[in-house]
Amino acid sequence: MSREPLLPRKTAISYKTEEKTVLRGYDLSELAEQGYSFCDALFVLFQDRIPTDSEEKMLKYEMGAFMEHSMSPSAVGAIGVITGRPNLPCAVAASIMTFGGVHGPGAAHGYMMNQYIERAEAEGKSLDEMAKILVDEHLDNKVPVMGMGQPQHTDSDPRAEPIHCKQEELEIGGVYLEFQRALEKHFHARRKAEGRSYVGVNVVGAGNTALCDIGFSPNAAWCLGSVCRGFSCAAHALYSMKKGRAWGASRREPMVQMIDLSMIKYVGPPDRRVPKQDERQEYARKQKEEGEYKQWLI
Amino acid sequence: MADLGDKKGIGNLDDPKMPYDYSQREYGTVETDDERARFQWVSEVAYKNVHRIVARGYDTTELVEEGYGVVDLLFVDFQARLPLIEEEKMLNYIMILSLEDGLSIPAVMSRMVARTKTFLTQACGAAVLSFGHAYGAYSSFGNMLDGYLSEADQGADLKALAEALVAENLGCDHLGVSDLMLKDPAAKRMVARAEKLGVAGKHIEFMTHIVAAAKKASDKPVDIDLLGAIGATMMDLGFTPEATWAILAVTRSFGAGAHYIEEVEREEYTHLGETLTPKDTYDGPADRPVPPIGERDKHARPAQTFTTTEWKKAFDQRKKLHGSGFAIIEEVEDPSKMTGTKSVGKKLH
Repeated sequence: MSREPLLPRKTAISYKTEEKTVLRGYDLSELAEQGYSFCDALFVLFQDRIPTDSEEKMLKYEMGAFMEHSMSPSAVGAIGVITGRPNLPCAVAASIMTFGGVHGPGAAHGYMMNQYIERAEAEGKSLDEMAKILVDEHLDNKVPVMGMGQPQHTDSDPRAEPIHCKQEELEIGGVYLEFQRALEKHFHARRKAEGRSYVGVNVVGAGNTALCDIGFSPNAAWCLGSVCRGFSCAAHALYSMKKGRAWGASRREPMVQMIDLSMIKYVGPPDRRVPKQDERQEYARKQKEEGEYKQWLI
Repeated sequence: MADLGDKKGIGNLDDPKMPYDYSQREYGTVETDDERARFQWVSEVAYKNVHRIVARGYDTTELVEEGYGVVDLLFVDFQARLPLIEEEKMLNYIMILSLEDGLSIPAVMSRMVARTKTFLTQACGAAVLSFGHAYGAYSSFGNMLDGYLSEADQGADLKALAEALVAENLGCDHLGVSDLMLKDPAAKRMVARAEKLGVAGKHIEFMTHIVAAAKKASDKPVDIDLLGAIGATMMDLGFTPEATWAILAVTRSFGAGAHYIEEVEREEYTHLGETLTPKDTYDGPADRPVPPIGERDKHARPAQTFTTTEWKKAFDQRKKLHGSGFAIIEEVEDPSKMTGTKSVGKKLH
């Protein structure tokens, strides 16, 4: 057995000898022995520091609120993958990888806040003034304001305002919470003035604000949220694996299943004859010249 | 359900700032909406019934019976058309060159997964994941090309457009021109093959101008690389940047499968806790005692800042910590052109 490094790399995160594993200078075993929590360790991992009690509580709350969300793209991804019965990690990995520009875009929300807070500092504007500028610039350009609106919780995301309140209760509201609150105020005011419906803050808008105020970068915050969701998606996948039918196509189930043949609706080119090989070149040339295929190009 | 009625007094949930009364939130799932058509998998690509599988209108069994193969099927699935013989030959050529790249990232990913003793499919999947916006950057490359070529469609000069593209993108990971293939003729031979087969079009022509402009602008020798040659040729074959990205990532995954197999055949599995990271590769904080948890308040420094100036100072400081994420900005965008399938489905009543 070789214990040589697989990749020769310098790292500032950790080292591991035959004696111990050291994270940012702290012996991992010692951290656990002292009674620090997993959330504490996440602060050490991403921020190289032990958090305050309140900060640890906030992370614990945020991750608890974010972990389970029933049928979101992440759970659907996990269930879809597990119907083929690969190893469970494939389904879990797929669920984590559903997080992108629309589903739980935590990093994008953080980058947006950082960009405008930096502008406030550079242009000598208050956070309130800059929040209004953000809202106006996004809405004028028909660009979605990250952290606002949730397609299923149309009255407002049930996790969002409680996260804000928890942050206030724990007295760890900083620049980010002040900015996010101002953003929401101007966002609601503008939509109301335009006679548009109420769109509440979502769990990314609230949760990511809290994560930023307790010192996590946009990408670190995104990692915390999306990987945490992997836990619950593993449960969804496991439920489907142990109690559901592989494929999800059985005709013997009382309910129409996910990939029952009757679920397929086809809207592509009409059925057509396959040309013989000796007709092929002329057929293909004509097809290309006519260009009808272009409407189906993806 | 009566005992579920009074839900006051839970944490902050009675806070007046809540957008609605949390104590009165309903239980239970949402009833089935029988006003709308039931869920369907809507597709333009393919359908199947008990006896047929039909892709873009062609019965796939009849296609293969008639001698069409997987390379032809790529045109059918992604472009809804059968390729010319020359186009099929060209895509074959590209796929052969894309199959293997030695111990580069997809193979390394595959081998790393293999060492954990798992299915081959996981290793192949990991190899697909290694195609990004630097390695195998076909999406970034193609969209860059198309962005500039859309101006050519409005009459702009190709040479001038190429110079503008190079001025903006020289040194970028996705330019398709670099010093990677100064001694390897494969990229140039691919372009020559496309020209010989008569499938070279505006993308290859534009790429020729880009290479010339890059050679002029660069202070070191550069030439077309495989990204540039494959990307431009694939687009001349009619594939979109995203289709190109996916097709070639999957193509390489076959090679990655072989690397998985060889790794399992020739090497040992790696176990949790086995791999060491010597201290001389570590440049983080020096070893330090874990403070007693009772002294947390004495050691902990809160992260909150309360003015933008404080925030800026803290942010710049945090950038210095490797692994914190503050020093990088990742582009996370919604690539979809539209959402929803409003053109299908109908009310049941």
